[in-house]
This record gives sequence, structure tokens and C-alpha cells, in this order.
Amino acid sequence: MADASAPRTGRAFAPYPFVPERFPAALPPLRDGVDRSRHRVAIVGAGPVGYCVAIGLAVQGIDSVLIEADDSVCAGSRAICISRRSLEIIDRLGALPGFLATGLPWTGGRSFYREREVLRFTMPNDANQRLPPMLNLAQYHIEQILLERARELSDRIDLRWQTRLTGLEPHADGVRARLATPLGDYALEADWLVATDGGRSVVRESLGLALTGTNYEGRYVIVDVAMPSDRPTERLAFFDPPCNPGSTVLVHKQPQDVWRIDYQLRRDEDAEAAVRPENVLPRVESLLAMIGETAAWAPIWISLYRANALTLERYRHGRVLFAGDAAHLVPIFGVRGANSGIDDADNLAWKLAAVLQGLATDRLLDSYSEERVAAAKENLRHGTKSTEFMAPPSFAFEWMRTAVLGLAVRHESVRSLINPRQTSPIAYTGSSLSRAVESSADFAAGPAPGSVLVEAPLGPRTPSPRAADGHGAYLTQLLGSHFTLLHFSKGGTLPADLGGLDAEMRGLGIRWHTVLIDPGTDDASATLAARYDAANGASYLVRPDGHVLARWRRCAAKDVRLAVARVLDRIGAHGGGG
Amino acid sequence: MNAEDLDTVYTDLCRAMTAVGEAQAPILLARFALLAIVEIADAGRLRRLIAAAAEDLAEATGKRES
Repeated sequence: MADASAPRTGRAFAPYPFVPERFPAALPPLRDGVDRSRHRVAIVGAGPVGYCVAIGLAVQGIDSVLIEADDSVCAGSRAICISRRSLEIIDRLGALPGFLATGLPWTGGRSFYREREVLRFTMPNDANQRLPPMLNLAQYHIEQILLERARELSDRIDLRWQTRLTGLEPHADGVRARLATPLGDYALEADWLVATDGGRSVVRESLGLALTGTNYEGRYVIVDVAMPSDRPTERLAFFDPPCNPGSTVLVHKQPQDVWRIDYQLRRDEDAEAAVRPENVLPRVESLLAMIGETAAWAPIWISLYRANALTLERYRHGRVLFAGDAAHLVPIFGVRGANSGIDDADNLAWKLAAVLQGLATDRLLDSYSEERVAAAKENLRHGTKSTEFMAPPSFAFEWMRTAVLGLAVRHESVRSLINPRQTSPIAYTGSSLSRAVESSADFAAGPAPGSVLVEAPLGPRTPSPRAADGHGAYLTQLLGSHFTLLHFSKGGTLPADLGGLDAEMRGLGIRWHTVLIDPGTDDASATLAARYDAANGASYLVRPDGHVLARWRRCAAKDVRLAVARVLDRIGAHGGGG
Repeated sequence: MNAEDLDTVYTDLCRAMTAVGEAQAPILLARFALLAIVEIADAGRLRRLIAAAAEDLAEATGKRES
């Protein structure tokens, strides 16, 4: 057996083209071994999801302490594809420019069976979009850009490196966390704790909770290589390729000449041997030769992946909230891992902020669990389908896949079965928040309650504070940390009683933005009104996370007041009766 | 039949085959084919489908040296 440090191929490993900054540990002022400040929110785990929760809370005006066991952003090959929906969220968090500057946008891909192309797919993309359907960048880039945003918000985000959670005591009104650092251990108290500490969550273990679902047998080797190439950014899938018969190989381009290659192991292959360079590098070499890449290349990273489809039953356990991989493990295929975690963060941040600001009762956080568990189940359903094709769990799935791939060359009708089912926005259909508010039922188009806004260009006269020049932007740029009331009115006037809502809601401490869209002013506004079936007088009420809460053919201020009161569970408080 | 329905039925068939096991799965497929034949009930179409299933079979599924 060859020594792993001196592979037979003689090919030397290269470093990533990214050098992470290292951060020291620090101790806060202590009293009797306890952090002197009691925190409103402690977030455990500074990965993409932890950062999104911290930044999401900060833009809502809520302070948090973010605890990270490591001394830098992550290393290695992990999440690599960020969806359009995630980019919209990241835009609201104020971190979009860094993503667009670094990432590689793409819209589709090709699949091959043996030597033949059997599928060309494109993700939904049209002239109404401002953001690409998918953006490739490495997780260390994702974390670095979010870290930079968190540092801009350092008066609200207290980031503590090299601080490891070692124990957790849940209480009725908060938590006490035991933390270990190289400088010594201490305890920290917080009103709420958000667990974003990943697939091997210590928080989850501390509470004695377990994920349930399916573990798959199929294994994939993940390899990052450094290689200059002008090849376009797309998803390439090779089934049973001449370079690696019997296997499935995926190829993704990443920024800075890094290529991510995933290939399936045969059932009889030993996992330990499979990740040794002398077994990995020849396969990469023959793949690159097959696709015609002749430039010099070097391996950077090798790891092993096995698909899981697991979730917690509930994401709220008293004062502890779970998000991202700590809450659910979604198969890699279809890129729902980091993307679903970013959606968790987005759903959670405004709700937790509303509870902490005394605007809502803590029942609002039960809706976080309800909506995101339902989303996880849908993600798992799609992810399982993808996995059953990419890593067939039985002889039957393998036979049928062979049938699909062989027939797909001549029979277009079976090709949809090869489509990788990439992540798409999930509607909170049947959410108790949507059900609590009465909407008009007769809309023929536009996003239904629970769905995310459908992107559309705005007319030049629709004011958009977040667009570069204040005008001529896109619909999702109207969103922010606030509720948004989109009111369609020919002639461009707001009915008198809706006109007072901005001031009224802000007076209550509710972040609010009313936007008037006049379908008569220009083509973009007319098209938008038609796509939303929004005749004169119609309104859409949009939650801070971009999901439609309610829509009305005609609404009065009392309808809006009642909707907000119901969602924030403030019936009986101000505005309850309308 | 839309793509989602096709996907669902495809998975149902895979599950049914998995449930009876590898030895019995060919018989299950034969029975399914027979039921599909009487349901489609169009001799010309069925002959074309049989030919399409056989076409390129060796090329599309044959073992190769690894």
C-alpha cells in the first residue's frame, strides 16, 4: 500500500487560493465565572446560518453574541451553490455586493450517459429577474463575506472566536451556556439561544434531541482541484462515464480556478482507501482528460460524503431554537443544505426580533418551527428524489435509472427524470400565519399567501430607496427588515385611511413601508399589476422575510391592522379590533 | 402526464420492485408490462414500444471493462 503523503502519481497538493484570517480568543468581563452581561440572544456556530441569524437580528435592532469554536472561517469543500432566493435574503442583510463580486453565476447544465448528452436543463430565468438562479462560491467565501458584514455591525454582533459550547442548561426564561476557551472557561446567560452549530450540533446533543429520517448507503468522494480553464459555469453530470465506468461524476466550477468534482463510489469500495490520493487522483486525471482539460492541475482537498435525509420534529424547544444543519440534514444533491439554512435564518430573525421588542408573543416563534419544519420536509422530499437518482438506494432504482439514461438519448419524454431538481423557493402553504388572516380568494395570478414575491422590474417612478439611484429597481428591492404593503392605485393616490398606516405602525414600533404602484404610469408598472392580478385598489401585504402574508382586492386600514395584530398575536392589544 | 406525476409513478415502481426483491422484480415488471399492454390496447403502438425498448439495449446497458 502506498503512503498517502507520497502518492503514486507524484502530484503535489496545492493550497486554496484563500488564506483565512485567524482570530484570537477573548474573555468577556466575568463575575464569579459568569459573563457579567446577560445577553438577549446567544447564537452558537458562526457558519453561514449563524451569521445570517446574527445579521438578520442586527438589522432589526437586536444585539446578539455569536459563539464560534474555531479561530477562522471554515476550510475545505462544503456548500458551493447559493440560490436566487438566498441571494435575495443576503441582499436584505446588506451583503449582496460581495457575493456578486466573488461568485460565478450560472443558469443550467448538461448530463451525459456514457459518451452521449442526455439532458440539457435550465433553471427558471427570464427578463423579469435581477439575480441569477444560482451562484457558485466556496463556503469559505460565503462565510468571509458574511463575516465582513457582521463586523460592520459590530456594535450589535459580539463575535467570540475559539469559544466552544460544552454544556447547556435550559430554563423557563432563558438558557445558561457553559463555554470553554484557551483563556479559560465561563458561563453565559441569554434570554434565547439559537443553535446553528451544524450537523454534529452540541446544542442538540445537550438537549438529548436526535434527528430522524433516512441515512443513505451511497457514498461520494468530494475533490477540489486547482486548474485554470475557460470552460463556462454550469452543472455537469456524467453517468457511467468512460473515465470512471459504473460511477456518477459531478463537476462544478468555483471562483479563482477551483473546480469541485464529486464522484460516486461503487458499493464494494472501501471508504478509507477511496479517499487516499493514489486512488483519487487517477480518477480525476482521467475525468479531466475525458472532458478535454489539458492544463496543469493540482488537488487541494479530498473528503467523503454520504447522503442523509434527517430532521428534528420541532425547531423550537422552549428558549432554544434550531436552524440549518443543526435542525435538518438534507442530501447534497439539489443544493438545499446551506440554502435551506439561510431561509431558516430569514424566517427566524424577524420573529425573534418582534418577540424581543415586545411586539409579539412568543407564539410567533412556534410558527418559525411550524413553517420551517414543513419546508424541511419538502426539501427532504425533493432531496430524497435527487439522491435516489444520483446514488440509487436499491437494485430497483439502479435498473430503472439505467432504463431512463439509455432511453433518454432517443426519447425526450423520459428526460425530466434526469433533471437534478435544484432548490426552488418554498411556499408556506397552510401556514397558521396565512390562515389567521383573511385574503381575497379570487386572484387569478400573483403569489398566493405563504409564497415568496415573484420578481418583477419596477417602473421608473416607483420609489425604491434601496436601488442605486432610488428608482427603476426590482420588486424584491422594496423589501427590507420591515413589513411591506404594496398598494396598486391608478392615478397614484393612496386612500386616506391607508395613508396613515406608515406613521401608525412605526408609532407602535413595527417596521413598516407602504409602497404605491400606479399601473397607469408606465409599461413596467402595468405589467407588474397584470402579473399580480392587481386591479385598481388591490393590496399585497408582505412579511419581512418576503413571503406574502395576505392580499386583498380592496382593503381598508382596519384589514391591515387586523392582519398584523393576528400575526403578531396581539389581539386584545392595540389595533386588535381595527 | 406532467413531469411530477411521471416522477412519482417512477418512484412508486422502484419501491414496488425493491419491496419484492431482486429475484422477483423481473416477474413484477412482466406483470406490470402485461397490465400496461391491455390498458394501452393499441397493437401498433405497443409493437413500436416493444421495439423501442429493445433498440440499442446491448449498447445502452452492456457491461464494459472498468
